[in-house]
Amino acid sequence: MNTVLTVFKKEMLDTLRDKRTLITAIIMPAFLIPVLMWGMGAVTKMVMEKEQNKKLTIALMNAPAEFVALIDTAKFTVKQGYDMATGRDEILSDSLDAMIGFGEKFSKKQADMGQSKVDFWYKSTNLTVESRLSDIVEKYEESLLDDRIAQLNISERTIDPILLRQHDIAPPKEQFGKTVGGFLPYLFIIFCFTGCMYPALDLITGEKERGTIETLLTVPASRFKILGGKVLAIALVGLAAAIMGIIGLVVAARFLPDMPEELSGMLVSMVTPKFILMLFIMLVPLCFFFAGGLCALVVRAKSFKEAQSIVSPFMMVVIIPAAMAMMPGIELDWKTAFVPILNIALATKEIVAGTIQMPHYIAIVVSLVIVALIAMVTSYKAFSKEGMVIK
Amino acid sequence: MIQVNNVTKTYNLNKKQKKELQTTANSINAVNGISFECTPGRVFSLLGPNGAGKTTTLRMMSTIIKPTSGQMSIAGHNVESEPERVRAKIGFLTGSTNLYDRLNPSEIVDYFGQLHGMSKDKLASRKDALFTQLGIHEFSQKRIGQMSTGMKQKVSIARSMIHDPEVVIFDEPTSGLDVITANSIIELIKRCKVEGKTVIFSSHIMSEVDLLCDDLAIIAKGDLVYSDSMANFRQQFAGTSLTEAFINIVNRNVQH
Repeated sequence: MNTVLTVFKKEMLDTLRDKRTLITAIIMPAFLIPVLMWGMGAVTKMVMEKEQNKKLTIALMNAPAEFVALIDTAKFTVKQGYDMATGRDEILSDSLDAMIGFGEKFSKKQADMGQSKVDFWYKSTNLTVESRLSDIVEKYEESLLDDRIAQLNISERTIDPILLRQHDIAPPKEQFGKTVGGFLPYLFIIFCFTGCMYPALDLITGEKERGTIETLLTVPASRFKILGGKVLAIALVGLAAAIMGIIGLVVAARFLPDMPEELSGMLVSMVTPKFILMLFIMLVPLCFFFAGGLCALVVRAKSFKEAQSIVSPFMMVVIIPAAMAMMPGIELDWKTAFVPILNIALATKEIVAGTIQMPHYIAIVVSLVIVALIAMVTSYKAFSKEGMVIK
Repeated sequence: MIQVNNVTKTYNLNKKQKKELQTTANSINAVNGISFECTPGRVFSLLGPNGAGKTTTLRMMSTIIKPTSGQMSIAGHNVESEPERVRAKIGFLTGSTNLYDRLNPSEIVDYFGQLHGMSKDKLASRKDALFTQLGIHEFSQKRIGQMSTGMKQKVSIARSMIHDPEVVIFDEPTSGLDVITANSIIELIKRCKVEGKTVIFSSHIMSEVDLLCDDLAIIAKGDLVYSDSMANFRQQFAGTSLTEAFINIVNRNVQH
């Protein structure tokens, strides 16, 4: 055990002095989410506001006076006298934002209580045009409908026979867990993997590339213990990365401006001692699974570059099950409980929602411990092969 | 004491390796039934051109790789059945001064001392003695990444000698070093001899061999082609330079 601790202490010291590992494993997970959340929110808000307030230039064909009256001239520049071909060309060349064409017999058809066609030309790439003009058309249609109801002397209820009243009785916590809860494990699983990846490359392949492995293997310690110390250090960095990711998310929810109050409240209230403990118990074997698996993979690489090309495809193997947990319809059951990575992601959702079943949780922890042990044994076997450790 | 008895190291070749080596053979002997002995208090030199099998032999001695057949014992311990005991007795140093760039000399020497299971007090006093002897104290807190090759080599020496090994294995220790730095290695080998340690070093620089060694063996393409004392070697090849004698022996055996 002394040897394992000696190797572990040295590797931690070495790793913590490596700026690249520190940035990818600790700093990025802690700051990436807050920065992304804040940045995305601010940019979206800015773009939407700009689009909403932009004065649009529209052309109208045969528009009734009542319709024209509904258009706020402060927000729209209205042009008349266009035909279909010119209007389309101008929309395509961006000198016109949209065109609305009423049929020539529009007023007559309306008077006869018939149905008239209204053509609406626009480009969907122009973000808010469709919704802003549809709103005006709908408003106009409502006024036409009101007129007809008055003329026919009937109640509004006559043409609206059903009043649907929806009652969503899912507690807010459960709703939150099953929706946003899926995003949370996706994040910390990725952080955990990248957190393990850089130290694994540095402590296994780096040692080979720099030529220090040979002298390390001439000390009177077994390869098992040397690898044990390294795996321990790699797993710890992975664990730190995952935890920093979660802390970053909660801090962002709590302190960032413009966060929806409901979301920030939920995120903050989610972090209970029970949640932390249950998550931590699953994260530890997951980190050892990643650390062992990555060591087994990179031990055969002769250089950093080769190691990176071996590991990169496995990133997908991690991302896919983590992302699957966000899909609707994929639930935690006795089948998914034994799929590594997917199981921890689904369990986290259930823990956040408060609907986790203990037998499922225990099965997940046990299965994660088993896959972690398999990964570590595989890495030990790879590390023991003489051809694998010598450049 | 190092005893090597009829040791062979065979590597199986995969398709790619066969193509690279332009051979149809399924395996290749990096070392082929070699036998020799190194005794305490004497310096043994393993000579041979590049690819002769010197590094393979020294790696087998240091238990990094295992012999395919034959017996090899270091300080009375078999390399295959007692690898950890062997490793406790040896100091291993290569010419390429490979150390951890982000650590300082003190941390590196502590790390290796601890891995050798040294007590805190013994490690501290031995480290202090070695640092004084090699002049490391003045840069003991500086990171390896910021050091010159000469400084690194001194730290490598301290690292491989911290546990006061009985047997010292040097794999081309002066390769790629300037004369001043190489001299620190030569001084170390001399000191080890005086201290009664068993010393083996591989080289292809005859001037070094002439200066230091008591016994020598020459290997070429995995075969041991010469093994005797340096005194006998000098006598046998009197009149020709040592480099010439070495080249003649290697060429004669390679052609055969």
